[in-house]
Amino acid sequence: MNTSRHFGTALQYAFLGLAAFLSIFPFFWMLVSASNTSIDIIGGKTSFGAAFRTNVVNFFTQVDVPLVFWNSTKVAVLATVLTIVVSSLAGYGFEMFKSKARERVYSLVLLTLMIPFGALMIPLFLMMAKTGLINTHIAIMLPTIASAFIIFYFRQSTKAFPTELRDAAKVDGLKEWQIFFYIYMPVMRSTYAAAFVIVFMTNWNNYLWPLIVLQSNETKTITLVVSSLASAYYPDYGVVMIGTILATLPTLFVFFVMQRQFVQGMLGSVK
Amino acid sequence: MTDRIHKSAIEVRDVSKVFGAGDSAFKALDHVSVDIRENEFFTLLGPSGCGKTTLLRMIAGFTYPTDGEIRLYGQNIAALPPFKRPVNTVFQNYALFPHMTVGENIAFGLEMLDRPKAEISARVEEMLALVKMGHLKDRKTAQISGGQQQRVALARALAPQPKVLLLDEPLSALDYKLRKDMQIELKRLQTETGITFIFVTHDQEEALTMSDRIAVMSAGKILQIGGPRDIYDRPAERFVAEFIGETNFLKADVATVADGKADVVLPGGTRVCARLAEGFVPHGKVTVVTRPEHAAIVANPDGAHLRGKLSSVVYVGTDTHFRVALESGESFCVRRQNSLEQGAAFAEGDMVGVVLETGAAQVLKD
Ligand SMILES: Nc1ncnc2c1ncn2[C@@H]1O[C@H](COP(=O)(O)OP(=O)(O)OP(=O)(O)O)[C@@H](O)[C@H]1O
Ligand SMILES: [Mg+2]
Repeated sequence: MNTSRHFGTALQYAFLGLAAFLSIFPFFWMLVSASNTSIDIIGGKTSFGAAFRTNVVNFFTQVDVPLVFWNSTKVAVLATVLTIVVSSLAGYGFEMFKSKARERVYSLVLLTLMIPFGALMIPLFLMMAKTGLINTHIAIMLPTIASAFIIFYFRQSTKAFPTELRDAAKVDGLKEWQIFFYIYMPVMRSTYAAAFVIVFMTNWNNYLWPLIVLQSNETKTITLVVSSLASAYYPDYGVVMIGTILATLPTLFVFFVMQRQFVQGMLGSVK
Repeated sequence: MTDRIHKSAIEVRDVSKVFGAGDSAFKALDHVSVDIRENEFFTLLGPSGCGKTTLLRMIAGFTYPTDGEIRLYGQNIAALPPFKRPVNTVFQNYALFPHMTVGENIAFGLEMLDRPKAEISARVEEMLALVKMGHLKDRKTAQISGGQQQRVALARALAPQPKVLLLDEPLSALDYKLRKDMQIELKRLQTETGITFIFVTHDQEEALTMSDRIAVMSAGKILQIGGPRDIYDRPAERFVAEFIGETNFLKADVATVADGKADVVLPGGTRVCARLAEGFVPHGKVTVVTRPEHAAIVANPDGAHLRGKLSSVVYVGTDTHFRVALESGESFCVRRQNSLEQGAAFAEGDMVGVVLETGAAQVLKD
């Protein structure tokens, strides 16, 4: 009995240890590789080296860092804010307003979740080409703003928003849009925080679509730049790793700042 | 009370409400009519799902009647949005804005009305004092207790000086002790402010202790409207009699009917004069109801209204509950208040008589 319990505990620890290793090791390797030369990295070196400074200098000479970061930040923040405002309005609307067509329209929205991006790529590209938006940041943002997943997430969360609060606001003379901005948004702020984290990460890490629409170096985002470094004829992996670290920092930052709100939002914001 | 001329605050005229359509249509209110007078404490009493909230929401303006009309001081309010009605609501779950402080919650409605700043802050202070919450003005509403939230909700609803206050089961989330305190508090507020209160509850005791008048509802209909005594002593229908307090039902035959009273023949063959609901003329077989405390047990069955064997005697401190198995097979309950002089005069198995007080019997409509 006692030994079998010990065995169980040991197994648990072994499993958790493995999981921790699998998730932490890539980060560790990223940090280690950033301090080594490309040759050492290819050789499989897993200890810190002395090439960190050179890698940083090389990265900053090869890449216009401020511009690339500005592009990424602009696209990610704008797209995130627009997505959240538009999709939360839609989610709120779907839950609050009754109509005969409501559930049918909603099913259509959810159905779009099942279409793989690969199938949308070419039609979307043609649309952007016809409207002259190729090689602009608007082209990256537009297709992401009405997010079926975020609409779904907000509709689900809105179920926990008491209708009585809406009635109380109406008694106080608020119009529908005022109820949304003055009551709903502040009350649901942890839902918004969670959505912000998810949408920001998706937008920041967005790769395939920007790769298709962005063609000039002045418009490229960090993910594109780092991957172009990695696919050069003689890639300098040390420099690539510096890029990777820099590209990871903002998402880490956003997550840590909003961690508490994020967890609350995932659990449901109205208690 | 009766010599004053009553002015109607709210007239509900033949209102129906149907939810859904086609096969799933559901009639939540079925031709409801009621006059609610100015300055009265009016209670809607009924079991869960009978349509109390639906009626209240229509008066507040959150939903609209499918049929019929609602008048406020003689004016049809169908076209008025909620904030233009001189009506305010205390919600079942208080519905305080969680991101605002106690003070901000009370001020919010006034700010939306564009009242001057000085007036708003004076009014907020006044309201806080009224509900004795001045010390918690700057707390977030999530950080105060249920009873305190209740008070804030009241203050918020009273702040814009409504003529009518709607309260939807405002006490149902509170524990027993707090509930009793708030009952007294609410009654005090109503008398002090002179505002018409429309109070919803499914607790009959609450309704009886607080109300000037009560409307008993069941399945979308109002069955009876009257003062607490009318409702309790003179239930017009079986549902009302059963829903409020304990009642004895007896089958009887109508002998004669004259000016609001009927002579009926009880199961044992004795005659008793029973009261009738207004304008009701019974005939043939009817059901007569009597409250257990409006009857007495006597040792000598001769001359008593009913005869039978005592099947149980239960002492419950303040009262003693007797159950008599009548010769007709029915069972009759009698409740007497205990006093020191009166000993344990009766025992189970005794043959006893039951005497009804004058006016204790009431003929049901159904
Ligand atoms: N929006 C709605 N759509 C469909 N049916 C509804 C709707 N609102 C209420 N109902 C139905 O109407 C009936 C009356 O509801 P209502 O809320 O008025 O009951 P209530 O008397 O307030 O009950 P409770 O004491 O439980 O609050 C219920 O059977 C309910 O299911
Ligand atoms: Mg209700």
